[in-house]
Amino acid sequence: MASASIPGGVAKKKMAAHGGFLKHAGYRWLKICSALMLVCIVSYLFIDVSPRHNGGSWYGYALGTIGALLILWLTMLGVRKRAMTSGKWSLKAWTSAHVYLGLSLIVIGTLHTGFQFGWNIHTAAYALMMLVIISGIFGIYFYATIPQALSNNRDEMTEAQMLDALRSLDRQLHEAAQPLSAEHAGLVLQSLEQNPFGGGFFQRISGKYPNCATRHAQADLRRERAYQPRMSGKDGKFDDPLDKVDALLEKKEATLARVRRHLRLKSLLQVWLFVHVPATFALIASLSAHIISVFFYW
Amino acid sequence: MTFIVRQIAVTADGREIIRSNPFDQLEIGVGRNAENPIHLPDLAVNPDHAVIRQLDDGQIQIESNSGQRFTVDGRSKMSATVHPSKGAELGFGGHVIAVSEDPEGIILTVKRVEALSDSAEARSEGSLYTLKGLLPGKRISAWGFVALALAAFLIWPIYTWATYRGVEERPDQFHADTMWTSGALSEAHHSLEGDCQACHVDAFVSVRDKTCMNCHEDDAHDHAKPDRLLTARGDPEGFAKVGAAFAAAFNKPRGRCVECHTEHEGAGAMQATAQKFCADCHDGLDNRLVDTKLENAADFGESHPQFRPAVLIRPGGKNPPRKRISLDEEPTEYNGLKFPHDLHLSKTGGVAQMGRRLGSKYDFGPSLVCKDCHTPDPKGVRFEPVDMKDNCSMCHSLAFDEIGGTVRTLRHGEPGQVRADLRAYYRSTGPSRPINLGGMKRRRPGATNDNRVASDYARAVKFRPSRANLAISQVFSRGGACFDCHGVTPPSSRGKVDYGIKPVTQTDRYMHKGWFSHEAHNDEQCSSCHNAETSDDARDLLLPGIKTCRECHGGEFAKTADVPSTCAMCHDYHADDGAPWLIKEQQKDKQKKTERAANENSLRKPDQKLKVKIRKRKIASR
Repeated sequence: MASASIPGGVAKKKMAAHGGFLKHAGYRWLKICSALMLVCIVSYLFIDVSPRHNGGSWYGYALGTIGALLILWLTMLGVRKRAMTSGKWSLKAWTSAHVYLGLSLIVIGTLHTGFQFGWNIHTAAYALMMLVIISGIFGIYFYATIPQALSNNRDEMTEAQMLDALRSLDRQLHEAAQPLSAEHAGLVLQSLEQNPFGGGFFQRISGKYPNCATRHAQADLRRERAYQPRMSGKDGKFDDPLDKVDALLEKKEATLARVRRHLRLKSLLQVWLFVHVPATFALIASLSAHIISVFFYW
Repeated sequence: MTFIVRQIAVTADGREIIRSNPFDQLEIGVGRNAENPIHLPDLAVNPDHAVIRQLDDGQIQIESNSGQRFTVDGRSKMSATVHPSKGAELGFGGHVIAVSEDPEGIILTVKRVEALSDSAEARSEGSLYTLKGLLPGKRISAWGFVALALAAFLIWPIYTWATYRGVEERPDQFHADTMWTSGALSEAHHSLEGDCQACHVDAFVSVRDKTCMNCHEDDAHDHAKPDRLLTARGDPEGFAKVGAAFAAAFNKPRGRCVECHTEHEGAGAMQATAQKFCADCHDGLDNRLVDTKLENAADFGESHPQFRPAVLIRPGGKNPPRKRISLDEEPTEYNGLKFPHDLHLSKTGGVAQMGRRLGSKYDFGPSLVCKDCHTPDPKGVRFEPVDMKDNCSMCHSLAFDEIGGTVRTLRHGEPGQVRADLRAYYRSTGPSRPINLGGMKRRRPGATNDNRVASDYARAVKFRPSRANLAISQVFSRGGACFDCHGVTPPSSRGKVDYGIKPVTQTDRYMHKGWFSHEAHNDEQCSSCHNAETSDDARDLLLPGIKTCRECHGGEFAKTADVPSTCAMCHDYHADDGAPWLIKEQQKDKQKKTERAANENSLRKPDQKLKVKIRKRKIASR
C-alpha cells in the first residue's frame, strides 16, 4: 500500500516497503489499542455506577464521547488515503491505527451500552457500528491474504497484458476460423462476441461462469468431431482448421480462467468496502440521531 | 456497368487505406470465402452469403443464397432491390457495404464497422477490473443510507414530537419518538411508555420536577426546602466539579427528582436509594448547613447520632408539648400515671401471687410478663395504649358494692360519676343494724344500754349520707383506688371533695423521623431492649439507645454485622407516617410470594377434584 512513491531515502523506502499495516512499527497500534481496551474493561468493572452501567452515566458519556470521536477520526481515512505520504504519520501508520482503533471500538462501544439493548435507535446505531467493524475485519482478512494469491495468479502479467492476450487470441481465432462452415464459425463467433468482463456480481465474486461461450464452443466442436475420422492432407500433415481452432479455444479458456480468478480476487478486495463505506455513512447519520435524540429528550 | 469494390482497412494508428478493384461482371458474390469478389473475413458471414447482380433497369438486386439474412439500411432482408444512384447501405455481420454510383460504375465500399471480437473493443481500462457497474456505487448508497437514517431516526420522531405538543394524552398507536427510548420504564411508569412528552416536554430541556409533580403532588413530600437541600449538598469538589460543570453546560439543574429516580433502567421496580445519597448531605451536614438542628450521620454502625425521642413535657391535651432529647441525657417522662414496672414484673411478692391466683382466669403465668398488660397494634408495629378496663382491672378492681351477685364498680375516667355513685350508695343504704336493737336477742342488761344502742343507731342513720364525703376523700387520697395509679388534683377548697385526676398521655411513637417495627423484632425478648424489670418509677423512659441497636445492626457495608442496614431501612426521603419505602417493598415481595404459593395450591386443587371425579366414576361403573 504505502510502498508507492516514497520520496525519502533508500533506507526509509526499505523500512516502509516491508511489513504490512498490521505489523507496522512492531505492532505499535496493536499494543496501544490492547492497553486502551484493557483500561476500559477494568474501569468498567471497578467503577460503580448506580443503579447499573448505562450510556447515560458519566462513565457512559465518557465512553460514548471517546467512541463518537473515534468513529469520526476513523472515517477520515477515506480522505487521508488519497494522499500517500511516508514518515511517522505515513498512510501506513494511519491505516494501522485505523485497523486497531477500529477493533478497540468493539470494546468501547459495547461497554458504552452497558449491555442494555432494545428496539431503539441507540441499539440500531450500535448494530451499524458492529456491521462496519465486521465488514472491516473481512477487509483486514482479504488485505492480508489476497495480494499473495493475486500475485501468484497474475504470474507477472499486468492487467493490460491480460487484456492484450485475450485480444490476440481472439484475432488468431478469427483468423483460424475463416475456413470453417457457417455453423462452426457461429460457435467461434459466440466466443468472440462474449464479453470476457461480463457476468453479474455473483459470477464475479464466485468466479463461476456457467454460460462461458468459449467453453461451450470448444465442447460443441469436440462433440461434433469426436467420431469424425482424422484425415491427413496431401503432404501427410493434419491440416484440419478445426484443430487449430480447438487449440486456440483451449488457450483462450486458460487465459479466461486466469482473468476470472484475477477478477474474483480483485472484487473480494473491493467488495467489503461496498458494505464498509455506505454502512459508515449510515452509522454517522444514526450516531447523529442517537446523540441529538439524547439531548432532545434530555 | 462495372462493379468497383473498394475495401477500406484501418491501420493501428487510425489511418484508412482504400483498395479499389473493378469487377466487370453482372453478378458478384459476397461471402467469407476468399474466392468471392467481395470477400468479408467475418465469422458472422456465410462463406457464400449472397450475390449482387445488375438488373436491366440499372438497379441492383441483392439476394441471399445461403439462407442467412442481411440488412438494407438497417432492415433485415433475404432479398432486396436498390437503385445505386440513390445509394444504400448493406449490412453483412460486422461489415457494411455502401452502394453508390459514379460514371465509372457501381461502387461498393466495404468497411468493417464492428470490432473483430468483444475483447477488441475499446475499454476504459481503469475500471475494467473493478466492481464498477456491478454493485450500486458506494457514494450513492452512502448518501442514500444517510438520508434514510436521518429521515427515520431523526426527522420522523421530531415530527411526532411537534405533532403532539401540548396534547393531553396521545392516542394508543405507534409513535416514532418511542424509537428514541433508552430502555423500558419502571413498573410504575409503564403506562407512559408510548407518551414521551409526558415527561420530556420541551426540546433540549431536561426533565423538570414540575412534570413529576403533575401526578405525585400527594405522595412526593419535600424532604426539605429545595434551597436548603442544595446548601446541604454543598459545592461539588474534585471530580464531581467536572461532572457539575458538564451538567451546567448541558442545562441540567441540580437537585431534580430524576437525579435519584433514574428512569429507563428496564422494566421492574425502581431500585432502593443507596446510602451514599443520604450521606452526600448528612455526612458533615453542619459544616455546610450551619444553622441545622440535625446531627451528622453517614453510616448507622459508625456515624449516627444517639436517638433523640420526642419526650413528653407535660401530659394532657390533644397535642401535648414534646421535646426531642438525646437518650444520652437520660431523659425522664411523666405521663400522668404511677406504675413501678419492677413491682409488677417481680417473680415474688404480692403482685406475682395475685397473678398466680388469677392465672386460670386471665391466662397469667407464674408471674406477670409484658404481654399481660401490653397489646400490640393490628400491624404489630407498635403497642396499643394501656387501657384500664382491659389491662389493669383484672387486679385493680373498682368494685364497691354487690347487689344480688352483681358487682358494682366505680366508673373509670369520670370522677364526677365516682362521687355521685358513692353518694348514692350512702344515701340508699343504712348503717349496719346492731343485733341488740329491739327483739329478744341477748343484750347487756339495763335500759340505759338499750337506749344508747337505739340512739347511736338513730344518729348513724341520720348521718349516713354525710359518710359519702369521707369515702370519696378516701378513694382519691393515698391508699385509695384512684390515687394508686393516678395523680390527683386536690379539692378546690377545704371541706369540698371535688378531687380531679391529672391528665394522662400515653406515647405510642417516640421516633417520628425513623421507623421501628416491633413485629420485625419478634425473635427478641422485650427485655433485650427494654430494661423494665429494674424500673421502679413510671417516669423512667425505657427506650434502648443506639448501642443496643448496634448489637445487631451495622452500616450498609458492615460485613461483620448481623444485619447490615442502609439508611432506607429506618428512614425515608419522602417520609410519611408509614413504613419507609424499602420496608414496604419488602412486604410487597413477601405478599407476592405468599400469593404465588396460594395460587399454586389453588391450581393444584382442580386437578385433585378431577382425580376424585374419575375415581367416583370408576367406582360407579363396577
